[in-house]
Amino acid sequence: MDSQTAALSSVAALIEAVGRGSQAALKRLYELESKRLYGIALRIVRRPEIATDVLQETFLQIWQHAAAFSTERGAGAAWLTGIVRFRALDAVRKAGREVPSDDPALGDEALEPDVIEKIGASAEAEALRRCLKLLDQEQQRCILLAFVDGLSHSEVAERIKAPLGSVKSWIRRGLLSLRRCLEP
Amino acid sequence: MIPENSEELHVLAGEYVLGVLDADDADEVAAALATNAELRRAVAFWEDHLHPLSSLAAAAEPPPATWQAIEARIRATAPKPVAQSFWNSLALWRWSTAGFAAAAAALALWIAVTPAPGPSFVAVLHPPQQDQASWVATAGRSGLVVRAVTAAAPPGDRAFELWAIAPGATRPRSLGVIPPGGELKLSPLPPDLRDGATLAISVEPLGGSPTQQPTGPVVFVGSVKAV
Repeated sequence: MDSQTAALSSVAALIEAVGRGSQAALKRLYELESKRLYGIALRIVRRPEIATDVLQETFLQIWQHAAAFSTERGAGAAWLTGIVRFRALDAVRKAGREVPSDDPALGDEALEPDVIEKIGASAEAEALRRCLKLLDQEQQRCILLAFVDGLSHSEVAERIKAPLGSVKSWIRRGLLSLRRCLEP
Repeated sequence: MIPENSEELHVLAGEYVLGVLDADDADEVAAALATNAELRRAVAFWEDHLHPLSSLAAAAEPPPATWQAIEARIRATAPKPVAQSFWNSLALWRWSTAGFAAAAAALALWIAVTPAPGPSFVAVLHPPQQDQASWVATAGRSGLVVRAVTAAAPPGDRAFELWAIAPGATRPRSLGVIPPGGELKLSPLPPDLRDGATLAISVEPLGGSPTQQPTGPVVFVGSVKAV
C-alpha cells in the first residue's frame, strides 16, 4: 500500500468510526481534512466568514450521517468533497456570489491552460487527466470552472464570454466524452 | 423529468455534481435520488471520478476557533449519530438544514393564528433542496393537522402521501394519502410523531403506495420539533 492509498483508507476508516459515534475520530478527520475542505469551500464561496460556516456545516453533516457512508460509497475523500461542495453551492445560491477579487489568498487564481497537469498523481487523477485531454479546450475549460469554482451554466458563460447555449452544449458533450473515456 | 436513457441520465448526474443545474432541476435530481438507484450510482460515479479536480483549489487554514465551534454545535444538537439507512441513503440530508428561516417565519404566522392551547409539535416541510416552506404540520393531544401553505398539487394521476419516521427508526411509516384539498387531519396523534421525528411527502399512485413504503420521489421533507 503506498502512502496515498494509506491516507485514503485511513479517511474511510475514520468516517466509519465517526458513524459508530466516535467524536475523537471526527476530530482526527478535522485535523486531516479541514484545510483541504476549507480550501474547496473558499474557492467557491470566496468569503472567509461564509467558508467557515460551510466548513462547520460540513462537519456537522459528517457527524450526523457518517453511518450512511460505508454502505454505498468507497472513496472517503470524495464523499467529503461532495458534502463540502454541495454545502458551498447552497451557500452561494443563498448569499449570492462575491465578484472575483485579485487576492490569490481567496482562491481567485485563474485556471491556466496546463492546469490539469496539477491534479495529482494518483491513479484516479491520471485517468481523469488522460480523459480531460481528449476534450475540446472549451469543454475542458467549462467543466473545470463549474467544478472548481462552483459556477453555474450562466456564470460560466459570463466568465468566458460565450453564449449560454454553447456553454451548456460544451459541458454536455464534455461529460459524454468523459464518461466514455472513464468507464472501465 | 429524469431520463431513463442511461447516457442522458449520466449527463444529468454529471451536471448535478458539477453544480451547473438551476435550482429547480437540481431539486428534481435531489428528490429522485431517493428512489432511483441508477441515478445514485451515476452521481457517485461523477463524485468519485471528478474528485481529483478538487485538488486545484488551494488548501487553506480555517480560522482557529472553527473546531471548537463545531464541537459546541454537536453538543447542542444530536447526542450521537444514529444509523437511519433509509433516510441516509436518500441523500436528502444534504439539504435538510435548509428551511430554517422559512420555518421560523411560517411558525410565527401559525402560532399567531392558532388559539391556545397551542400545538405541542410543529414541522415545516420544504422541498429537499429549497428553503421554501410548503406544508405546516402541527400536532398535539388532539391529533395531527398537515396543511399546504403554498399551492402544491401532485401530477394528475398521482397523490401525495405523508410519511413519518420516528427518531432512530430505519423505515418510514405511512400516515395516509393527503386529500386533494391539501389538508390531512389525523386523530389520535400517531405514535411516531415526537420531537426529532421526520415528516416527508412522496408522490404515489392514487390511493397510496402499494408497498407500505415510498415508491415515488420524496418531494417535501421536514423535522418535527417540540414547541
